[in-house]
Amino acid sequence: MKDLKRKKKASFEGGGLVIFREVQEAMKAEKVLKGADYKVKLVAPPPQLRKGCDLALEVNLVEQLGLERLFKEKDIEYVDITPLKLETSELLNIVKVTDFGDWVMVKAGNMKITFDKNDGMIVNTSGGGCPDIPHLHAEMIGKKLTEAPRPRDIGFTLCALMLDRALEEGIDIWQGGRQS
Amino acid sequence: MMLLAGTVPLKDLPLIAGEVRAEQGFLVADGHRIPCTQGTGAMISAALAVTDYLKLDRPRIVIAGDVGQGEGSRSIYEYLIQRMPELSAKVLTLHYCLPDMALTKRLCEVVVSCEEKPVMIADAASMYAAKAAGLASRFDIFTPDATELAFLADPEATHPAYIARHLFDTDITQGPRLIDSAYEQNDAARLLLVKGAVDYVVRAGNIVDIINEPDVPALEAIGGTGDTITGLVSAFVYADLELHEAAIIAARVNRMAGKLAQATPATRIRHIIEEFPAVMSEYLCVWSGVCYMSDAKGGGTSD
Repeated sequence: MKDLKRKKKASFEGGGLVIFREVQEAMKAEKVLKGADYKVKLVAPPPQLRKGCDLALEVNLVEQLGLERLFKEKDIEYVDITPLKLETSELLNIVKVTDFGDWVMVKAGNMKITFDKNDGMIVNTSGGGCPDIPHLHAEMIGKKLTEAPRPRDIGFTLCALMLDRALEEGIDIWQGGRQS
Repeated sequence: MMLLAGTVPLKDLPLIAGEVRAEQGFLVADGHRIPCTQGTGAMISAALAVTDYLKLDRPRIVIAGDVGQGEGSRSIYEYLIQRMPELSAKVLTLHYCLPDMALTKRLCEVVVSCEEKPVMIADAASMYAAKAAGLASRFDIFTPDATELAFLADPEATHPAYIARHLFDTDITQGPRLIDSAYEQNDAARLLLVKGAVDYVVRAGNIVDIINEPDVPALEAIGGTGDTITGLVSAFVYADLELHEAAIIAARVNRMAGKLAQATPATRIRHIIEEFPAVMSEYLCVWSGVCYMSDAKGGGTSD
């Protein structure tokens, strides 16, 4: 007897929302993202963010960095990428610096980058948990802060975004002598 | 069986499920050489060091290449969802994967249906997904660092990049307050091993041990020192230590290896891992009572 069970549709919970000004732009973004194998879902924005009959895209918030890059490449205009829970805090924008004598460690969110004070060489990156982080670790270690690939250019996730912030601060410290 | 799952930074590496061994600074699985660097590679290497030292069955791995786009992560989740009941794993450790709440939920549902539920351990983004999906309490062990503890303590955050600023500013000495919050919100595993300048071992919300010696501050800067702790605790649980004992010994072994390696912020994780056999040889019996190794693989390990 033929199995009449319907294939279960894969569920999706991304935890993130892309807000658009125009419905058409949301639909274009959906097509582009699906074409790039991102999991997305068209949803109504929460009442606080609605202007009318507008649309938003639910996305995996962790993939924020890769999404932003793709939108830029494809000229897709969006207002913001934001956590689905409105009570969530804003993206962390502060860093902590630890002086290890010959080395300086800069921490942004859950990510840390450590460089040699003498030559600006990246000696370690640590923290995080997304799959692009071990790749970035391998790509950045042994390179100078100013010459290493930027996580925002080759990473995809929020961990990479935090690592980019740490790198940026590291470059500032290295070039500006902010480290006493 | 101890089952270790996570992505590795080799873009085109297909899903590999099976045996693993260490060879000349690399992991070798299904003919592929996987670097023993930050992430799943370091975690597996640490677990291997323990099983080889204790003459236990080596871990089995489920790995796939992924540099952040998620395909490898999803293939790992799908494999586990399909195969967990027949794998009869005693320990399942989930590590670097692109967080996917829906897949994590499906995996947790499958694990419940296993004849014997494995000890469930999560670190890295697998831990982020478990917390974000409201499934933290389904897990037996989480191994967060200080920032990740703040993430567990923030009821609204779905990733450590979005934790409240006042929690990020919290010093690790405020760990107990964050631990209380995480448990009150049901956002912690049964046992937490909080990794940092001070390591906390927490069982059901109660701190059962604090480990702060030897003090090797450089460990925080070295990529992979948190991953090795996760591998160590997985292997010690597999060796039949109680969860809290496994966590305490893992934290001690990691610190002592850092000391023996004379770690600086420029030290690579493989140099820490190389010290694990020496640390276990010197201290494991004293610290844990694991003083006798059976010749038979998978045999008893403690007297």
